[in-house]
Amino acid sequence: MNIHIISILVSKDLSLFFRKRAIIILTFVGLIFYLVIYFVMPSSVDENLKIGLYSPVSLPVFTQIDEEGLEISPVESEEMLKEAVLDGSYVVGISIPVDVAEKLSSNQKPRVNLYFTPDAPQEIKDAMEVVVRELAYMQTGQPLAFDVSEEILGQDMTGTLIPPRDRLRPLLAIFIIMMEILGLSNLISEEIERRTAQALLVTPTTVTDIFIAKSISGIGLAFVQAVLIMAIIGGMNRQPLIILVSLLLGAALATGVSFLISARARDFMSVLAWSFPILIILIIPSFTVMFPGAITGWVKIIPSYYLVDTVHRAANFGSGWGDVWVNLLILFGFTAAIFWAGIYILRRKFQ
Amino acid sequence: MSDYAIVAEDLTYCYGDLVAVDHINFKVARGEILGFLGPNGAGKTTTINILTGQMKPKSGRAILLGMDVAENVKKVKVDIGVCFETTNLYEQMTAIENLNLFARLFGIKSFDANVLLNRVGLEGRGKDRVETYSKGMKQRLMVARSIVNQPQILFLDEPTAGLDPTSSKAIHNIIIQERERGATVFLTTHDMMEADKLSDRVSFMNQGRIVALDTPLNLKQQYGKRALKAKVITPGGKLEDREIALDTAETPGSVKELFSQENVVTIHSKEATLEDIFIKITGRGLVE
Repeated sequence: MNIHIISILVSKDLSLFFRKRAIIILTFVGLIFYLVIYFVMPSSVDENLKIGLYSPVSLPVFTQIDEEGLEISPVESEEMLKEAVLDGSYVVGISIPVDVAEKLSSNQKPRVNLYFTPDAPQEIKDAMEVVVRELAYMQTGQPLAFDVSEEILGQDMTGTLIPPRDRLRPLLAIFIIMMEILGLSNLISEEIERRTAQALLVTPTTVTDIFIAKSISGIGLAFVQAVLIMAIIGGMNRQPLIILVSLLLGAALATGVSFLISARARDFMSVLAWSFPILIILIIPSFTVMFPGAITGWVKIIPSYYLVDTVHRAANFGSGWGDVWVNLLILFGFTAAIFWAGIYILRRKFQ
Repeated sequence: MSDYAIVAEDLTYCYGDLVAVDHINFKVARGEILGFLGPNGAGKTTTINILTGQMKPKSGRAILLGMDVAENVKKVKVDIGVCFETTNLYEQMTAIENLNLFARLFGIKSFDANVLLNRVGLEGRGKDRVETYSKGMKQRLMVARSIVNQPQILFLDEPTAGLDPTSSKAIHNIIIQERERGATVFLTTHDMMEADKLSDRVSFMNQGRIVALDTPLNLKQQYGKRALKAKVITPGGKLEDREIALDTAETPGSVKELFSQENVVTIHSKEATLEDIFIKITGRGLVE
């Protein structure tokens, strides 16, 4: 490994990257597009509390309530109620048991189930129990003994309600990082197909020097752009160190993927053909943040899920190292595996 | 210090079952130009790749400047220059940027790309991107890049293939200048005229083996047939060719008879070309 040679190669790679018009246009238009989308998204949350109610017995006061900030809609079954909460139609779902009347008449405590969205704030969870008791009081004219059980559907993200534009942060970060896959894959595949790598390898440059330089260029480009955009949209205000580490691992993951793609691709068109399906897969996890509950647990097999989830938790909920270390560990594992596989396959092409 | 710049000892390389280089042995003296001739697929480029440390031989040793290439590949690379058969320049960079990049990789501090560009006839085009160059210009730049580090051994793989005479001549001049500087030149080519003109010795490679290695003159004397070739007008007014073999007992009589009995229009000597000799040795042409 020769630091001097590596620095020359990095400077060459960066210079070439910024001369590729197609890549620059894609990156630049992408950045502007993401920022425009971010800033046109609502910056505040809808303060009306949407509540779904499943009640097999008639409780007119629940549905006829005209309290400011409460919108209660009846739902036909408990399963439908859960689904509606999961897909974000309601912040909370209230399920009244069938035997509510019998239990009350026999002095037993009926169990009322409350279903919450993953990111429902604790204040709402606390308030809902009070609301249920208050509504029951309005219905019967007397305080009633209830057991209220709370269930979080999906992942619990206790905190404040997140404005839609802030939900976009992980999506933007991953978009920026993953877009670099295109540029870097093209740079490497050209180096192989145009045999410029061969020209480098008859100088004192080694294959290791080339790989280190490509890694530095790829990770650097993706990381710097992601950090910049996160800073512009306020994504670094909370837990900046965690965000930086996640973005760095994400950039390394993207570089590893680029190595794999460039081992297969022959020109820019085949880079596009290989990159887009992979980009789409890697971007899917960010929709779990945009649309909580829309995608189920299988998304966790996608490596980028752990980047998205960490950025979301840290940037939007202020989650600390204790909350995200498992995510970061898994992300590191995926990144190391993909990076190693990329280098192993690509190295054979260089040799 | 070894007298030989290049020593190949029993070099062998296989692509699967195909033996591309088959136990070849040769030595190239310092300051010598060796023409390495052979048809496509003969194993020339594979040999260059082994000698320049890009491939490891299956067996045998390549020794450059007294160093075993396999064991000293980094040291060897400092002292060699390679011009590849196919253009492999950074096309989105300018010629000056290309040359400066390689000069920096070789650790050369005081380097003036324009001096090299003048030598290969690319003066005034140094700041243009290589993608705007013609094939001949790119090839000249490739040659310029291969001598950035003033190599002790210069490997040129088909440097003039498909080029116009001007570009070819510019490259020939560079080869001669490099030899005058003291460099050893390993030149692979299809062009027997080029090899004949530039090489101190030529090597014929066929199907992975070296089938002949000597000076062009010795090869011609050993394998060639000298002759006189004349065009005569027959009594019927037709133009016909006559050929008289030289170096035989009958030659003087045949020459006398030609001039006394025929109406000779033109006459000139005919020597065997390297192509003729290659065909004679291998039964196949250099260009197929």
